[in-house]
Amino acid sequence: MRPHARAAPTQRQVPGRSGAAPASRTLVIGYGSPIRGDDAIGPLAAERLATGPVPDGVRVVSRHVLTAELAEDLAAVDRVVFLDATVEGQPGEVRVRGLAPDARAVSTMAHFHDPRELLAWCETLYGRAPQAWLVSVAGQSFDYASYRLTPCAEAAVAAMLAEVRRLIAGPSPSAGPDTGRIG
Amino acid sequence: MSRIVTIDPVTRIEGHARITLTLSDAGKVEDARFHLTQFRGFEKFCEGRPYREMPALTARTCGICPVSHILASNKACDHLLSVTIPPTAEMLRRVMNLAQITQSHALSFFHLSSPDLLLGWDADPASRNVFGVMRKDPALARDGIRLRQIGQTIIEMLGGKKIHPTWVVPGGVAEPLDAVKRDAILALLPEGLDVAKRTYAFYKTLVPRFVDEARHFGTQPTLFLSLVSPKGHLEHYDGLLRIKDAKGNIVEDMVPAIEYERLIGEAAEDWSYMKFPYYKPLGYPAGIYRVGPLARLNNADACGTPYADVALAEFRMLQEQGPVASTFHYHYARLVEIIYALEMMERLLKSPDILDTRVRARARSNRDEGIGVSEAPRGTLMHHYRIDDNGLITWVNLIIATGHNNLAMNQSILQVAETYVDGNRMQEGMLNRVEAVIRCYDPCLSCASHAFGEMPLVVELADARGRVVDRLERR
Repeated sequence: MRPHARAAPTQRQVPGRSGAAPASRTLVIGYGSPIRGDDAIGPLAAERLATGPVPDGVRVVSRHVLTAELAEDLAAVDRVVFLDATVEGQPGEVRVRGLAPDARAVSTMAHFHDPRELLAWCETLYGRAPQAWLVSVAGQSFDYASYRLTPCAEAAVAAMLAEVRRLIAGPSPSAGPDTGRIG
Repeated sequence: MSRIVTIDPVTRIEGHARITLTLSDAGKVEDARFHLTQFRGFEKFCEGRPYREMPALTARTCGICPVSHILASNKACDHLLSVTIPPTAEMLRRVMNLAQITQSHALSFFHLSSPDLLLGWDADPASRNVFGVMRKDPALARDGIRLRQIGQTIIEMLGGKKIHPTWVVPGGVAEPLDAVKRDAILALLPEGLDVAKRTYAFYKTLVPRFVDEARHFGTQPTLFLSLVSPKGHLEHYDGLLRIKDAKGNIVEDMVPAIEYERLIGEAAEDWSYMKFPYYKPLGYPAGIYRVGPLARLNNADACGTPYADVALAEFRMLQEQGPVASTFHYHYARLVEIIYALEMMERLLKSPDILDTRVRARARSNRDEGIGVSEAPRGTLMHHYRIDDNGLITWVNLIIATGHNNLAMNQSILQVAETYVDGNRMQEGMLNRVEAVIRCYDPCLSCASHAFGEMPLVVELADARGRVVDRLERR
């Protein structure tokens, strides 16, 4: 037998999570560079979300970039909401769109991922991918060594979080890569 | 008329680089260069900042290995404070470093290099990627993710869930470890060690398939630089500098890390943003050396943990005598180090003092120059700061693991290109081998560059007058 020929893995409990299955399993991931101006809006919004009351079954994380191990975290939830900055749109504009797994959405940087690629990792390895949403804010400045959001990005954080709260307050989706996409 | 082949971007590495191969009229490789094409300038824009900001600032050099910078930077700050940090703080820092090494090595092996190792150098590039690996061996890919997750979870349990942990501070760590977290981390380690051992056993079955690559992937004679413990054992956090030559003779030993400038000089070339460190007594470029897992295992007398020592003995058998020369065996060395890291974390966390609440020495700056050296996953990492009377940074020098390997990476590319590239009949698999030898080093160009930007790979073929006559590009 090949050393790696084993049964498909069972879902693992995420460390720190209680034993009882929550009503809805949702993961919110804010990601972006904290030193590239408005690129930090994703992790900053996630950190603000985490400091307030968060519904049961919702886990919030901040990341510099999306990395491979998150694929297993995605496999353990029904819904994921990515928070990111974008260069598209009017500065401060908030957009919400559904995401589907896409193995072709490969980042040029080997060590981190486009969210659609991460969903494809999840789907390929674990046989399922959660319903996925991207909430983005159009940034104004992505200057290097810039540690603050621009005023228009700062002003958009509240609207971004309102969209996130709206999404995570919705009914628990049934797991599956095709549920709930809007775009 | 000679020609130049360009590989741009180099894929499955961190950062943006280009390889150029210069071919003779007869289509034979005459020269090879690895160009770092991104520029950043961290050393410059840190000037004027308070030294206490340096760990957080330099951690942002890279989203991939922030822990390594946090540790080296805080060690430089410890030096500025002139303090010896509490023993428990040192153990906790070690655990965090080993967790980082575990997850970083896992990514390199399972997700960046396994497509070549499992699917073959000449496989269709469209499927020679991590999705190809997932289809061929999903359990292996899941194991890689699990090791990544275990490493990341340990880092988060220690440092909190901020992007860049602020738990490590000048003088020690900000908070002691509690029993609940210790037990939760300990509970993760057996599974991690099972994965590591399983993968190691599997990889040993693959190694015989790559005799040719092992013979031609960067076997150039070089020195090896790393930290070792005072006993000469494998060391990742502190210790003393050791340099061995290609025959295994120790040419420098037990050198305090703060004396690194006596050993290491830095050259620059006008065709790359990465510096070219070299061993000073031999001069540039004769003072070529390698760092990282291969160098650490070659330099260490022992690992000091049970299973890793067995694996180290098997590693040494890859070559009849002397240090293991082939750059190809960085992969092997990484797997040995993952085993070591998991075993050593367990040992540290079972120490009776690990829950001691005395974890921070407090002081103000007591000297105007501080040096911190540790072993990052990719090799020896050096942070060197000077401050003024107000504690503001006046000068910074960072020597990054990937930078140490710069001369060796260039020589390795040349050797692989000379062996595999036929300029008269270019094939993708040839160029993939040229890329693959770079991936053996697992370079992090975001850190090594004194740069920012994209990281794609181009191979260009140029004639004797430097005109590009052929080009292979991947984006």
